[in-house]
Amino acid sequence: MTSYVLRRVLLMVPVAFLVTVGVFMLIHLSPGDPALIILGEDRTPQAVAQVHQEFGLDKPLYVQYLIWVGHIGHGDWGRSYTTHEPVFNAISDRLPATLELGIAALVWSLVVAIPLGTIAAVRRGSVADRVATGISVAGVSVPNFFIGIVLIYVLSVTARIFPFGGYVPITQDPWESLRHVILPAIALGTAGTAINMRFTRSSMIEVLNHDFIRTARAKGASWRRVVFVHALKNALIPVVTIVGLQIGGIIEGAVVTETVFTWPGVGRLAVESIFNRDYTVVQGVVLLAAFSYMLANLAVDLVYGWLDPRISYA
Amino acid sequence: MRRVALGFILVMLAAACGGGGSSNNTAVTPKSGGTATIALESELRTLDPMDSSLLVEREVFYNMYDSLFTIDPSLAIKPGLVKTWDTSDPLNYKFTLQSGVKYQDGTAFNGASVKANIERYKTGATSRRKSDLGSVKTVEVTDDTHVIFHLIKPDATLLATLVDRAGMMVSMDAVSKGGANFSLAPTGAGSGPFEFVEWKRNDHLTLKKNPSYWRSGLPYLDGVTYKAIPDVNAILAALKTGDIDIARVIAGKDVASLKADSSFIYKDVPAIGFNGFELNAGAAPFNDPAKRQAVAMAIDRYSILKNINFNIGVVGYGPIPPSSWAFDSSEKIYDHADATKAKSTATGFTFTYKTTSDPVNQQLAQLMQSELAAAGITMQIQTEEFATYQQECANHQFQACGVSWSGRIDPDGNMYAWWHTGGSFNDSLYSNSQVDQWLDDARTNADQSKRKQDYDNAQKQIVQDAPYVFTTFGVSPQISNTKIHGFTLYPDLMIRMAEVWKG
Repeated sequence: MTSYVLRRVLLMVPVAFLVTVGVFMLIHLSPGDPALIILGEDRTPQAVAQVHQEFGLDKPLYVQYLIWVGHIGHGDWGRSYTTHEPVFNAISDRLPATLELGIAALVWSLVVAIPLGTIAAVRRGSVADRVATGISVAGVSVPNFFIGIVLIYVLSVTARIFPFGGYVPITQDPWESLRHVILPAIALGTAGTAINMRFTRSSMIEVLNHDFIRTARAKGASWRRVVFVHALKNALIPVVTIVGLQIGGIIEGAVVTETVFTWPGVGRLAVESIFNRDYTVVQGVVLLAAFSYMLANLAVDLVYGWLDPRISYA
Repeated sequence: MRRVALGFILVMLAAACGGGGSSNNTAVTPKSGGTATIALESELRTLDPMDSSLLVEREVFYNMYDSLFTIDPSLAIKPGLVKTWDTSDPLNYKFTLQSGVKYQDGTAFNGASVKANIERYKTGATSRRKSDLGSVKTVEVTDDTHVIFHLIKPDATLLATLVDRAGMMVSMDAVSKGGANFSLAPTGAGSGPFEFVEWKRNDHLTLKKNPSYWRSGLPYLDGVTYKAIPDVNAILAALKTGDIDIARVIAGKDVASLKADSSFIYKDVPAIGFNGFELNAGAAPFNDPAKRQAVAMAIDRYSILKNINFNIGVVGYGPIPPSSWAFDSSEKIYDHADATKAKSTATGFTFTYKTTSDPVNQQLAQLMQSELAAAGITMQIQTEEFATYQQECANHQFQACGVSWSGRIDPDGNMYAWWHTGGSFNDSLYSNSQVDQWLDDARTNADQSKRKQDYDNAQKQIVQDAPYVFTTFGVSPQISNTKIHGFTLYPDLMIRMAEVWKG
């Protein structure tokens, strides 16, 4: 097990390398000049040259890349071009907000998806199944920014039940924090709800057809016990895979939702930095997102072992 | 240049000027206490005047820092940290400083501090103030309250430059204590009415009252909070729900309803910028002056003002707006659209107009497209992401580009960089030796009436040659709830909070 984890962690190194090359090239080759954005109405040829020199933008691209990777290797993520804030701080300051939103969205998606998916599987073809399927198709089809705007309009602006936008740290005021996170969590989590429900349903149907279910029933276990104890645990394996990817995607998935709800998280930082051509920040955020995907994948593989003892890590 | 896009929103702001820049409720005794929340239309990047290049940053700075000079609502230069001045010798400006002023961290403001600040702006590795202070050779400290600015060449615009960031004084102690994080948390750095408390990016920026402010009795408020809300509709919603007290901008379409609502105040005065679009004189088709002139003739400024700007502001005829002492009300070379005259000047050509995806910019482009079509000119609209559009316009890779200017206090700031040969904003590659001469003379001549003559001449020539088609002038508004009192409107779009109080 330890050697397996070690091997997986080592495998992350070449992947991370490819990610750094990819993100660096993408952002640097896109049109736009950070110096012009930084200087705005204060642009003069001298000032533009000065900013290029300040950030090493006058050097050949491969030299810029090597300098950046070298610094990353030493744990130095660089400073934002526009605010001079250390990139690491810029990201870590916003991470709690993003994590709170991401976890709330995930909880929302699972709390709805697993019971609904199970019911749909057990009562296959019933009205409950059709309603659940309908909800799931709608949930995955409607983009989350649209759900967000509708939620804001109906529950915030019109009904005034929830505040519109903004973030209150959970450590500061748990109740207000919850009130602020509910709408963006629903907007962000709904697509996941739909997917998770479909996975739970199809996996559950498959498991319910296995021999051990018949055996459990024959032994006299109640239907409820068979479904929730014997079947559900086995049915969750593919769901764990997809949830793992969703955890990794918390940052990426929050980009639009954070903007709609003026949520001060990593996603909004990424959007702003892309528009401002703040190369170091964009690179930092993408790198972090890539790492969170890789770690989530590893965690998923480890959870398999717990769910299905037949899986070994030799 | 983000300001360019934002400047456009400002253009759309309200009509009916409140008549001059005087403060309201003058008869009532101001009340102390309370805090006011102001919405900013974009997030700040820095709190250090040295690095700053955004309009919204200046907004905050004017309430934290004091400048060497200030302006009154008519844009006349007034004392700031400089009490009196003698500019009779064009190469050696003598300034007498206010005495007894302290920065918020307790250190003294004096001649040595002025020298250190100017040197920091002139030489700082990340300084964006170098060109502002290009005419200053050295600062000589005579004593604690007297300094002499030695100039490389005469500079009639220097006092106006020292109203803005280049003249904002900060405590050198605070700078060295802040180190690399000074621009994020300039604690105790200013001598202004409010001092820095905290800045949570994308959320809020808090300032508190400076209890030992040198202008006695001020400020009235206990604090000011800024919130960055990068959407004009959300700003209006926040104003209506009471989340903010003051907005800097709202969408033009919402002004009329806000004015009709008795729980809010809307007033405005003419601003200092200009709006329109540049034509590239360095490439076909606009290297032919007749084609530029035909476009200028065919554009219907009144229709733009009415349909795009909701009649907020006035029609623009040149780079000098009505708020300036150099405004020439007789210059109306291109006034009402004249498709027949445009056709006889040049017709039957096609060009591409670059703009951003902002809905108002899109509507403007479509309106102009139809106006030009009436004169047989085909305008194609190319919509680009901001950074791309900005880079291509700055690098002369365009035929026509929609760019507005937020404006400067001195007319030089609205003309020199734009149309002097090789000027830093001369995207159009316009060059006219006679115009260069007028602009150079106006820059160095101390006599204001002679400067006005120079600007009148230069403006006529530039407008006639049409490297830029002027369309409208915007406004500087007060948009607030009725609890806000003592608000003075300044044409430079800055909200100065020292005398504002809440009732």
